[in-house]
Amino acid sequence: MSIEVRNVTKRFGDFVALEDVSVSLPTGQLTALLGPSGGGKSTLLRIIAGLDTADEGTVTIEGTEATNLPARKRNVGFVFQHYAVFKHMTVAKNVAFGLEIRKKPKDEVAARVDELLRLVHLQQFSHRLPSQLSGGQRQRMALARALAVEPKVLLLDEPFGALDAKVRKELREWLRRLHDEVHVTTVFVTHDQEEAMEVSDEIVVINEGRVEQIGSPDDLYDKPANDFVMGFLGEVTRVNGEAVRPHDVDISTAPVLAGAAQGTISRVLRVGFEVRVTVLTDGGEEVTVQLTKAHANALGLHEDQTVWVSPNPGAVPAMSRAV
Amino acid sequence: MASQTVEATRTRDPHPRSTARGPHEDSPAVKWVMRVLVVAYLFFLVAWPTSLVAKNTFANGFQGISDALSDPDVVHALKLSAIVAVAAVLINLVFGVGMALLLVRFDFPGKRVLNALIDVPLSVSPVVVGLALVLVYNGRYGWFGPWLEDQGLQVVFAKPGMIMATAFVALPLVIREVVPVLEDMGDDQEQAARSLGANAWQTFWRITLPGIKWAIVYGVVLCLARSLGEFGAVKVVAGNVGGESTTAPMLVQQKYQNFQQETAYSVSFMLAFAAVLCLIVVALLRPKEGDKK
Amino acid sequence: MLWFSLLVLIPLAAVVVKAGGGGWETFVDAVTNRQTFAALRLTVLTSVGVTALNMVMGTIIAWVLVRDRFPGKAILDLVIDIPFALPTIVAGLVLLSLYGPNSPVGVHASNTRVAVFLAIAFVTLPFIVRTVQPVLEEMERDFEEAAASLGASRLTTFRRITLPTLAPAIFAGAALSFARGISEYGSLVLLSGNLPYRTEVTSVRMLSYLEGGDTASAAAVATILLVVALLAIVTLDVIQRRVARRG
Ligand SMILES: Nc1ncnc2c1ncn2[C@@H]1O[C@H](COP(=O)(O)OP(=O)(O)O)[C@@H](O)[C@H]1O
Ligand SMILES: [Mg+2]
Repeated sequence: MSIEVRNVTKRFGDFVALEDVSVSLPTGQLTALLGPSGGGKSTLLRIIAGLDTADEGTVTIEGTEATNLPARKRNVGFVFQHYAVFKHMTVAKNVAFGLEIRKKPKDEVAARVDELLRLVHLQQFSHRLPSQLSGGQRQRMALARALAVEPKVLLLDEPFGALDAKVRKELREWLRRLHDEVHVTTVFVTHDQEEAMEVSDEIVVINEGRVEQIGSPDDLYDKPANDFVMGFLGEVTRVNGEAVRPHDVDISTAPVLAGAAQGTISRVLRVGFEVRVTVLTDGGEEVTVQLTKAHANALGLHEDQTVWVSPNPGAVPAMSRAV
Repeated sequence: MASQTVEATRTRDPHPRSTARGPHEDSPAVKWVMRVLVVAYLFFLVAWPTSLVAKNTFANGFQGISDALSDPDVVHALKLSAIVAVAAVLINLVFGVGMALLLVRFDFPGKRVLNALIDVPLSVSPVVVGLALVLVYNGRYGWFGPWLEDQGLQVVFAKPGMIMATAFVALPLVIREVVPVLEDMGDDQEQAARSLGANAWQTFWRITLPGIKWAIVYGVVLCLARSLGEFGAVKVVAGNVGGESTTAPMLVQQKYQNFQQETAYSVSFMLAFAAVLCLIVVALLRPKEGDKK
Repeated sequence: MLWFSLLVLIPLAAVVVKAGGGGWETFVDAVTNRQTFAALRLTVLTSVGVTALNMVMGTIIAWVLVRDRFPGKAILDLVIDIPFALPTIVAGLVLLSLYGPNSPVGVHASNTRVAVFLAIAFVTLPFIVRTVQPVLEEMERDFEEAAASLGASRLTTFRRITLPTLAPAIFAGAALSFARGISEYGSLVLLSGNLPYRTEVTSVRMLSYLEGGDTASAAAVATILLVVALLAIVTLDVIQRRVARRG
């Protein structure tokens, strides 16, 4: 295991930011810390980095007991949400910083900086100041800077949070590819479930200072451990009291399915290739059903029509298993 | 409220970012009245009198200045003022930056009180400052004075006291320049440096200091301007030991009262010139920083 | 921290202790001394007057500096800081050259209370200007325009929006200006003539106590001055809160 966090608790005054959190992350893995804002993700990441200290519990990095080690001795790379670039240094100087601190010979530093700038596609910007770079470029520079010192683990705190949607999407794919190339153990924080699902090998869901679930993106989506995880990872609707995803609801114009709930369509909404249908059941539930345009057309769905809805038998309703 | 107040003493960018003119112009009449009022007020209160000092100094060409500079008293006083000012500025530089860091980057009990007290030197009478230092560091009855005297260090009625008085009066200037810049900068860059392996000293030297460089320069220049001209506090601390401890501003008073007005004006002009020069330096440096952003 | 204590806190404490050490009588003696009382009254009243003037003029100057554009404005901006950077003794001399015996305009104000007022107005000029200016710069014009577009007249906009926003800065500057005013010394030495009962200010009075070796009385007056400054700062803070809330 590369990172072992055991029973960590952190308080800010009376406020408990982390409560008895334990996580262990294998070497070489890309892990996402996912959860709503204020849940304690950054706090956990900062404790791993040594930028904050835990009130209780221990942190081990690559087998080294690190709980009381200052940040500068942990050999972790940290990438900040707002880049934290050294404003007065050129791009090359920024990347060289960690190496110069370690008093590496000049030519070695230059070679390494060159290699890294190539890796993050910034080689032609090496003499610019950070203020002359775009947000995405700054963040890539910050990443190169963190990687320069060959950290044992790379920690990224909402690295793409301050970027616009398009750049964010590009960079997250790029990060995945980069990780496949460099293979450094990586933990990144995000509050965007799509980002977490798309990029990571494993997701740790954190909410209100506690770990809700740890698992692969598929596990989390298909077998959420509780209401919170299920709700956070995707849309949820209720049929006959059971929580299911809207695309896992079967809808028919005749009562062919056993146990199906009868209701009336109150709204049909077409969004691109999909159709969202809202059904008001006789039992008083408002069920959202998601189906393809072709499927909806075939059924000839329209408002005020009487339909029957039931959970798709293939989709195991999470809640029945959860508690 | 203390923290916002001393912004007052900061020289501002002389070319404030121009506000976009919307459809809602101030009426021209109001504008002209205000403009004339302001210019007249400043002209009569500041500009004209100040320029008269220059005029009086150069009434006989450079004769006045060269006469003054050949007076050993004048030369001695100017030298002493310079030494005291430079020493006070150096002290304020070190402690000012240190205290600014303390106030912005660290949490400790009593921080708010300290923050409020920083401004005290700006609003205390120079005579009170002098009196306060005399009471504590006086060689005979001061709190620490006798002990320091035993160590061979005379504070009051000597240079150390004059330096302390000057440092006291000008202390907030450096702090108040540096604090907002430190706050603005945040500690992101410092944390990044730490995570990259820099120790506290390396972080300060390579990251923090370059970030607050200009603020320090302004602070130091303003501090220098203020230190060169401090009069009341230094006068009290220097005592009446005669020419030995007469600084330039004190000399102005003496010469004026001895009806050597020409010398008084010449020395005044030199002091005023140094002060205005400091202001111009700051005014010129400031927009440059803006460009770099 | 330690340095700050050694340089500022302990010495100031020493003044209060010294004043207190003389017992209540020293205070009473100092204040009931007619000459001292006259000096205190002159200092405080003049400072109040100057501060009131500064609140108006300072705000107007700041307004012109931010909102108006004309050639030479940069120089105006520099002129504002002259009183702050100029050695106080030189400030006295400066005013003396226009309003003194050799005045080119024939005004002869030296050795009068007018001179005291002038000197204090001179040295306190930058305070309110420099506190109000940044606030005014930041206050978006849009903000005012929004109010105007909602149908508020210009006067209403100024009274209800602009003034309450500026009030904290104005009062903060006023506190500084007043504190500086009551403690002024250097610029008055040459200008006011220091005539007892007429133009002698508190700082000069303290110095004559000191020169006479009466440290206890000097400390007592100093303490009174500190208390007055503190009271003024608190009072202005309270008023400022009222104004801000009413807006
Ligand atoms: N230095 C701090 N002082 C006080 N409270 C803090 C501090 N840092 C974080 N918190 C609080 O701890 C909680 C978790 O914060 P954080 O870890 O930043 O959440 P996340 O990164 O998941 O959005 C938040 O409620 C935040 O307000
Ligand atoms: Mg966060």
